[in-house]
Amino acid sequence: MSLASLLGAGKGVAMTSFFSPEFFLLFLPPAVLGYALIPQKGKKYWLLFAGYLFYWFVSGALILYLLLSTVLIHWFGIWLDRVQNEGKAAAAELEKEERKALKKKYRKKQLAIVWLAVILHIGILLVVKYSGFFAVNVNRLLSAVNAPFSVRIPKYLMPIGISFFSLQALSYILDVYHGVVKADGNIGRLALFLSFFPAIVEGPICRYGQTAERLWDCRQITYRNLTRGSQRFLFGMMKKLVVADRLNSFVVLVFNDYGNCDGGIIALGAILYTVQLYMDFSGSIDAVIGVAEIFGVPIPENFERPFFSRTISEFWKRWHVTLGAWFRDYLFYPVTASDKMKKLTSSARKKLGNHYGPLLAGSIALFCVWLSNGLWHGSDWNFIFFGMYHFVLILTGSLIAPLVRKVNAKLHIDPERFAYRLFQMIRTAILVVIGELFFRAEGLRNGFKMFGRMVTRFSFSSFNREFLEKSGLDPYDLVIVGITVAVVFAVSLFQEKRGSLRDALEKKPIALRWAIWYAAILFVVIFGAYGYGYAQIDPIYAQF
Amino acid sequence: MEKLLAILEDLNPGVDYENCEDLIDGHHLDSLLIISLIAELEDAFDVTIPAVEIVPDNFNSAKRMMAMIERLQED
Repeated sequence: MSLASLLGAGKGVAMTSFFSPEFFLLFLPPAVLGYALIPQKGKKYWLLFAGYLFYWFVSGALILYLLLSTVLIHWFGIWLDRVQNEGKAAAAELEKEERKALKKKYRKKQLAIVWLAVILHIGILLVVKYSGFFAVNVNRLLSAVNAPFSVRIPKYLMPIGISFFSLQALSYILDVYHGVVKADGNIGRLALFLSFFPAIVEGPICRYGQTAERLWDCRQITYRNLTRGSQRFLFGMMKKLVVADRLNSFVVLVFNDYGNCDGGIIALGAILYTVQLYMDFSGSIDAVIGVAEIFGVPIPENFERPFFSRTISEFWKRWHVTLGAWFRDYLFYPVTASDKMKKLTSSARKKLGNHYGPLLAGSIALFCVWLSNGLWHGSDWNFIFFGMYHFVLILTGSLIAPLVRKVNAKLHIDPERFAYRLFQMIRTAILVVIGELFFRAEGLRNGFKMFGRMVTRFSFSSFNREFLEKSGLDPYDLVIVGITVAVVFAVSLFQEKRGSLRDALEKKPIALRWAIWYAAILFVVIFGAYGYGYAQIDPIYAQF
Repeated sequence: MEKLLAILEDLNPGVDYENCEDLIDGHHLDSLLIISLIAELEDAFDVTIPAVEIVPDNFNSAKRMMAMIERLQED
């Protein structure tokens, strides 16, 4: 037995779920207690230690990827800072025109450093995440042309959370390049920013300017932060354990055995998968934000009640907010703000007008964003299709927007009327569910087969008690899911109309407050899908 | 400022650009119009607007846009 194995490396994979007893009973309490007891000066090192210990438990030797990323991005930051300072010092003594030329020269140098950092990080990601997919498709091509040889299919273990911490690292170096933040000479602060244990598995994808200083500052744990963080954690636990994990067996059955399912059941499977994904991911993010709140660190929100969206474009501003913002700030705007795209926009606007002109450059940038978004989620054609599906929907929405406005005006439809807004929300939700069907399907071919079956053989004739038993759900489960989804919907509606529910509850009498929280704890304990008869389900987004 | 107001009015007429303080947050200018606007501003004011400047704070009002342009011209 190796030393790493003896020290528990990679043995705590169950900890990737924040709601596993290993995490919230065995890891989290000592981490919080140790942080509270350690003198102020040592708190940051304790957090750093907790982060690496957590990552060691879930990933073992693959922690080297995280360490490598940290060292590289720190070094690139320092290098970039040195070049920036050299450029500033040299430019200070020059006249305006010469200064401009010199700045351009130094910009190029800085850009080369940034590109090197990007290529290295994306390169590592490409190798561990996509080389297998690439080799499989090369072999398909070779076999199609009857080539007498094939390429070896490489297999790499993918470090958990690499898609998240790589984007965080890149956002740091790009922010340094843009002058949004100063390069950090303190590798410890940068390491803590990249390894803060609640956020390393599933995000949210934080920016250096949002969390690094606050993490390094280390506030003392307060009663208010402890209770509010625990409340948020509990809410996430309810979403994940009561709904998401309970629905898993039904979703697995439908997606694995769709050949024996009616179209109606496939549609139900796609709807329930969308519910499962939302409850799983947003529930885990509630846990992340709750744990960070206990340590007094505000983490950016990742969900803004996405199912209230009226368009697909709005949906992606409310679902996985930090990923969307990353692609917007580091891909969409840089592409559209490039010289060639600006020229294209200017000339296209003169020929096609103010709406369709910019759409040309915008659609090229949008294509890059959605191809990257699809690939980010996984290395298979169904993920690429998922990205392209949303690209087409968003582009179509922009193309027909002037026509829709005209039709509405002609028919005297007020787009702000409740009925119209409700129609838009339901339409958006249906489009999202169709996208999720392809996203969850075992490959693109199966996705199309499921979609075809759903449309052409729509019936519920085989949806009976026997099917429910096979799926691991019974009517009692459906009632529990229904009640919990209704609670989550009511909370979302309150937040949508009146803001934070926890802030509102804080003003209520103490007896009522505690009664609500005790009821919530009991609800999760009694109705959570854990223990005998349930397998622990890893968070869905941890695999991306 | 008049040149800027004329560009805005030409791109997307019907908004009180002189007084409006929430051009982005109030959804008067969407991302496509912003793309177009940036190309126009760069031509008209001989500045380069990098992607990092494309944030709501810089585009929420004509005054904020003018402040950004003046800052970039000084650079």
